[in-house]
Amino acid sequence: MHRIATLLFALGLGVLLLGLAAQLPLGATPMAIGNEILARAPGEIGAANIVTSVVLAYRGIDTLGELAILFAAATAAGLVLGHAGSRSRNGEAGFILRTGSDLLFPLLLTVGFYIVLHGHLTPGGGFQGGVVLAAAFFASFLARPSHRPGHGVISLIEGLAGAAFIGIGLAALAGGGAFLQPLLDRGMLGELVSAGSLPLLYLAVGLKVGAELAGLLAQLAE
Amino acid sequence: MNALVLPVVLPLLTAFLLQPAGRLSAALARWAGPAVLLVCAGLLVQIALLTGGEPVTAAIGGFAPPVGIVFYADALALLMAIAVPVSALLLWPRAEAGEAGVRQSALMLLLVGSGTGMALSGDLFNLYVFYELLTVASFGLASATGTGRAYVATVRYVLVSGFGSLIALAGIALLYAQTGSLNLAQLADLAPERLANPLGLAAFACLLIGFGVKAELFPVNNWVPDLYACAGKPISALLAGVVSKLAVLVLLRLTVLVFDSPEAREMLMVLGLAGLVTGELAAWRARDLPRLLAYSSIGQLGLLFVALSLPGPAGLAAALAVALHHLLVKPALFMLAERWHGSLDKLAGAGRASPLAAGLFTLFALSLVGVPPLPGFWAKLLVLLELARGAGPFDLTALALVLAVTVVEAHYLFRLVGILYSPGEFRDRHSPRALAVAGLGGAVLVAAMLTLPAVSDALAGLASQAADTAAYRTLTLGGGL
Repeated sequence: MHRIATLLFALGLGVLLLGLAAQLPLGATPMAIGNEILARAPGEIGAANIVTSVVLAYRGIDTLGELAILFAAATAAGLVLGHAGSRSRNGEAGFILRTGSDLLFPLLLTVGFYIVLHGHLTPGGGFQGGVVLAAAFFASFLARPSHRPGHGVISLIEGLAGAAFIGIGLAALAGGGAFLQPLLDRGMLGELVSAGSLPLLYLAVGLKVGAELAGLLAQLAE
Repeated sequence: MNALVLPVVLPLLTAFLLQPAGRLSAALARWAGPAVLLVCAGLLVQIALLTGGEPVTAAIGGFAPPVGIVFYADALALLMAIAVPVSALLLWPRAEAGEAGVRQSALMLLLVGSGTGMALSGDLFNLYVFYELLTVASFGLASATGTGRAYVATVRYVLVSGFGSLIALAGIALLYAQTGSLNLAQLADLAPERLANPLGLAAFACLLIGFGVKAELFPVNNWVPDLYACAGKPISALLAGVVSKLAVLVLLRLTVLVFDSPEAREMLMVLGLAGLVTGELAAWRARDLPRLLAYSSIGQLGLLFVALSLPGPAGLAAALAVALHHLLVKPALFMLAERWHGSLDKLAGAGRASPLAAGLFTLFALSLVGVPPLPGFWAKLLVLLELARGAGPFDLTALALVLAVTVVEAHYLFRLVGILYSPGEFRDRHSPRALAVAGLGGAVLVAAMLTLPAVSDALAGLASQAADTAAYRTLTLGGGL
């Protein structure tokens, strides 16, 4: 009975949302803000990837909020899982898995940092690259559960990277501007060293996301 | 006024650095949080003094709205923003040793930063981000007692909140598809042309349900009783007190600025009445004090939504009176419930064991029911007067329901006061801190009663400023940075 009611509720909600979606002017959406950003962003921010100028410049504080949400989730998980606290019982993986993870580790690190540092030029950025970085550490952790990265190091990287993001924002504030106002020279559109402080912000995001996920995965595996 | 961002950012910065700092020194990790909250409260008070209650804005990143995100601080926003760190300081969780304590402090700081952001932000998606942050931080805090029942209650809270967030996001998407903007002031400009249609109303319904989860709105409040009964009482007090009011503040801004239509008001009124009636009837049936308080909180917030549905500055003043009264009384009551748990009948004799606590409880109960001359009476009277002035069939039904429910409220609260003062064996005493917080709430309540003319003038000023949508739009969009 309860299940049927739930099913009916879900169906009803689905029909309602579909009905709403059918009324939407798809393909002809008003682009009040979108068009203005498209026109302004390349000259004003200097990032070839327009999405990045939205994520880090125009809506930078949203990104800070999202970083904090990830941090809050990891902290809450640590609080809940911290009560258990049993050590891992898994032994070493086989030769092939260990060698494979050794080979993957530098590759994943390179790809991860590449994606983070090119976030202002090509699709990608701190969040995506950070996940790849976390995967690098987690692959080696799965192959050798006894060699896990120190909890202190992870929380240090995580804390300092988060502080660096806010610090860059506060530096702009201290210099008489607004919080998270882009700093440094914009440079040439499309070059690696361009878009002012945006690549630095993305590096902080990447390190924070990477450390957070690595710590969370290690905690879950314990 | 770029410094407006500091009370939001400093707690986040401290939260990020708290775990590494905890490895250096336990004392640093313990005292950094409260110290930063004091600084934030001080900053906000200073901003309030500097501006003298005149609204100010801050464009984040230096990008003028509506392209960039804007913080908007009028007297109401500043008042709510100050209430966040102050409540958190008073209700700071008891220090646990080691890692768990540090994590709890970090979550409290995240909650304060996001709560302050919710009070100040003038951008719908930014509000949503802070709302999410606040939600996730409160998950951790609610389950921090570590009991199985707290986990079960938190899981239900997580599920309902997740549903709410999804619906709110759908609402924001609907709004964005209709208008192409997320800035509240620009939405207010575009609303008469783009949002006066069924899609606009659907967007409002989605946002109402989404943000209503924290505001204990009628269909999405089933997480409330179990969570408040099982989580630590300071956390329950924080959620029922200031966090629910922040969600109400967002809904208030949305109704005043963007969705100022009779249909939206009817929706608020119907859901508010449903919450009022179901909450108070459930409280009447409740068998232990934390649940009774949780249900009565649902009822009180229902009354708040009824008040919010009333048009004009006078209606807004009534809503603010109900909100501020609840913000003051409910956390104090939850702190008193810290020791008064278990079946209601077992509380007999508690009045003899701790006369101060029982006296405070009686004071709050009288104010909640609305006995003159306590502030709760004036808050309820404002709502009733505005309902009577509306005089539509809806308004008069609501008027009758509010009065009828007050009788129920009076019955269960006075029955409880009677139990407290009847002879019995109850001997548990309160911690000094719980008594201090409740005593402070009682003192402010009495002070508000004694300075009633000044308080009501201040309320009217707050309401007329918050209802002034033209000022909000010109200040946010027309320069003035």
